Amino acid sequence: MDENTNKGQSADSAINNNNNAKDHKNKTENKIPKIKFNFSAIKNFYESQYKKLLIIPFALLFIAFIMIGLQAAKTGDFINRDVSLKGGVTITITLEQAADTLKLESALSSQFPANDIAVKSISRFGSQTGIIAEADMAEGEASKLVDSIEKELNINLKNTDYSVEIVGSSLGASFFKEIITALAIAFVFMSIVVFLYFRTFVPSAAVILSAFSDIVVTLAIVNAMGLKISAAGIAAFLMLIGYSVDTDILLTTRLLKRKEGTEMERIYGAIDTGFTMTFTTLVAVIVGLIFTQSDVIRQIMIILLIGLLVDVINTWIQNVGILRLYLERKARKAAQ
Amino acid sequence: MNYKIKKIFTNVRVIILMISLVLAVVAINPRPGIEGVVIRNVITNSSAAEAGIQQAAPNARASSRERILEINNKPIKDEESYYNLVNSLKPNQSIQIKTSRGLYRLKAREKIEIIELNETIEKTIEEKITVNETVNGSIVEINKTTSRIIIAPKTKTISKGTEDIGLRVYNAPKTNLKKGLDLQGGTRVLLQPEKPLPPQDLGSLIDTMSERLNVYGLSDLIIRDASDLSRNQYILVEIAGANEEEIKNLLASQGKFEAKISNQTVFIGGKDIVFVCRSANCAGIDPNAGCSSSNGQSACRFRFSIAISPEAAQKQADITSKLEVIGDSSGKGRGDAYLSEPLELYLDDAKVDELSIGAELKGSTTTEIQISGSGVGSTEQEAVFNAMGNMKRLQTVLITGSLPVKLNIVKVDNISPMLGNEFLKNALILGVLALISVVAVIFAKYRKLVVAIPMVLSSIFEIVLLLGIAALIGWNMDLAAVAGIIVAIGTGVNDNTVITDETIRGGQRGVYDWKQRIKNAFFIIMAAYSTIAVSMLPLVFAGAGMLKGFAITTIIGASVGVFITRPAYSRVIEILLKE
Repeated sequence: MDENTNKGQSADSAINNNNNAKDHKNKTENKIPKIKFNFSAIKNFYESQYKKLLIIPFALLFIAFIMIGLQAAKTGDFINRDVSLKGGVTITITLEQAADTLKLESALSSQFPANDIAVKSISRFGSQTGIIAEADMAEGEASKLVDSIEKELNINLKNTDYSVEIVGSSLGASFFKEIITALAIAFVFMSIVVFLYFRTFVPSAAVILSAFSDIVVTLAIVNAMGLKISAAGIAAFLMLIGYSVDTDILLTTRLLKRKEGTEMERIYGAIDTGFTMTFTTLVAVIVGLIFTQSDVIRQIMIILLIGLLVDVINTWIQNVGILRLYLERKARKAAQ
Repeated sequence: MNYKIKKIFTNVRVIILMISLVLAVVAINPRPGIEGVVIRNVITNSSAAEAGIQQAAPNARASSRERILEINNKPIKDEESYYNLVNSLKPNQSIQIKTSRGLYRLKAREKIEIIELNETIEKTIEEKITVNETVNGSIVEINKTTSRIIIAPKTKTISKGTEDIGLRVYNAPKTNLKKGLDLQGGTRVLLQPEKPLPPQDLGSLIDTMSERLNVYGLSDLIIRDASDLSRNQYILVEIAGANEEEIKNLLASQGKFEAKISNQTVFIGGKDIVFVCRSANCAGIDPNAGCSSSNGQSACRFRFSIAISPEAAQKQADITSKLEVIGDSSGKGRGDAYLSEPLELYLDDAKVDELSIGAELKGSTTTEIQISGSGVGSTEQEAVFNAMGNMKRLQTVLITGSLPVKLNIVKVDNISPMLGNEFLKNALILGVLALISVVAVIFAKYRKLVVAIPMVLSSIFEIVLLLGIAALIGWNMDLAAVAGIIVAIGTGVNDNTVITDETIRGGQRGVYDWKQRIKNAFFIIMAAYSTIAVSMLPLVFAGAGMLKGFAITTIIGASVGVFITRPAYSRVIEILLKE
């Protein structure tokens, strides 16, 4: 007990020095309004209650599992798929005048908010000859979509002007099974590599757990938002692995491989670097989210945004907690 | 400061980075001011083909393709102006096409339709027939020419305007980067199976089709099953950048390949064939037969070797053991002995080749067989091109086997890209805004321009290098590539932050040796890189098309960063920050 509070105090003074240096610079640079935080209370809680804090990420993981499981039981699928992944109806219409596909797509999307609609143009010899509208609806509802299109384009369509087809998913039936298998193998490879670098089992497991938790918790949140995932969205989830690994390897290296300073000093140093890393990416992602006009980019950015925020919890509470537990057990064994 | 800048640019790692950048820009070959349209393909037997305009190889780099500059002295700026001009041609109008390779003169042909009328007329036709006649007491076969009168329907020829001159073009690309289906749009083909298929056969049909297209070299595609409201079954295929004729040839032919001796099947395409040679030493234009020309037509022969399975070889041995050996009867003039029946090769029930079987192969389980065929064209170069095309198609069919059912092409459309035509422009603006915001954050944190500027330059350089590699290997830029670029840049900025932190704050933490600080930073970077690279590997081998592309782009991007830009950045930081 004494040991812990001593370490807390020395870390306190080190951080206070840093804070003082930063304060001095802030006064001479931009005048950013500072919110008065009771830093020391939070820091003490973070340092001493790390075992209790572990409840948060694990609870999130547990809840996420349940949510995804419920969704899978209800719809047979653990993500919400968009029309390119799930299939639906395609309506092919030949037109004499060119139509603005983007305008039509957004008009239809607002009229059918529960469905995912995409509109593309068909052309022959360089000029537009018609449009193809894809929507994830049942064939019975296709006529409603046709009516809306007629109204939007201000035309009357005879039966010969358009055709309706029901399309299947563009992914094979075994796609998700393949992805899960590939991910499982990926995690095994990752844990082997981390083990080779750190020579102990616990850090390898912690890095994998963090990446896995990132993906699962983000997935549950994205499902709860009702977001329909396209192939790009699946890629975005995999991107989270990269970002998660960066912060976890940073933490593990600083904590296990470095000898300078106390344990908490090294953790705070890692938090300093890690937050910079996460923050730069977050800012870029938010900028992308605000200024993009492409639905695809928007989906990638949303998933990255949520994933990065979740990663903060999983790296700096879950991973830190696990590593500190491990170090504590190691110190206890060495003392015996 | 000047001394430091000089030190930067004479440093080995920085020099490597600069050279790589130059190579990347050369590979990308940006030509922002380019105008005109590029020829994608020439339809066979069209007036353009007859005028001598040649087809480019399907994988030819965009900058090497023939570009149309003017038609009848009017400059052609884009796809729309080309098609407007061509659609306004009158029948039998002569036109002059100026391209980047030369001047062509052609005549727009008249499109003629022959209609049968209800009336009939009498026509006289000549025929050659063989009759047995007695000449000098023995029965001999003689060829005689006879004429007879038949009743045929009267026809009327009507003109249906101008026939298309037969060129498919697209806007001259501004760089060497190939755009994928998402960015460029492509061809959408609706196919109908000849007979309705049960669901599990439909799945294996789609698998075989995508395998066949992949083996042929077309990988940017989406295949889905579809049906219309009357429950008719269809297959929907979307491919980027392929031309209609290629697709029709590949998809519509069932590709049922059989090898028979005496009408007994020895082996069929697909599972009986364990290996098809595609490398230059055992596949290509036949060095013994080569090319020949006659009557303004050239023909070239190709050959490639295949290996058949032991079971098929055994079957062949069983059949050949029952054949007889006969003397040299095929006129090959080498005095060899052959078996009484040849090995006949059938593609879609039409015989494509016949191979004499050497006598020494009687009863032997030989697994290596050489397949040959030919291609024709109006010039030798065209004949070579067509021969190689036929060879590639035959190889594809042999490797992937036949489709379970014949497919009929219902319609072919060009579709617009999913990401919209404005995507690239928006993406560029977005990228610039994101980089500016990253610079702002880095500067706010470190308060040093000497950190912020190299970091943002490092990210820009990484993007250029990644695009250069993509252009070099002919990678299709699609969503996967975009996602991979984002990951590569993201981890790049992260890694540079680690380097900067270790070097700047290393002093505060009691690590005073600069080399040690850099070593510390690179331990983290290499560990992170290895973990990420290894996690993407299973996706390369397992994932469906798009995720494979994402995994490969991420691995390449991360590798470029770790081995080229990060070492240069760490050296630059060291030079700029070391007191």
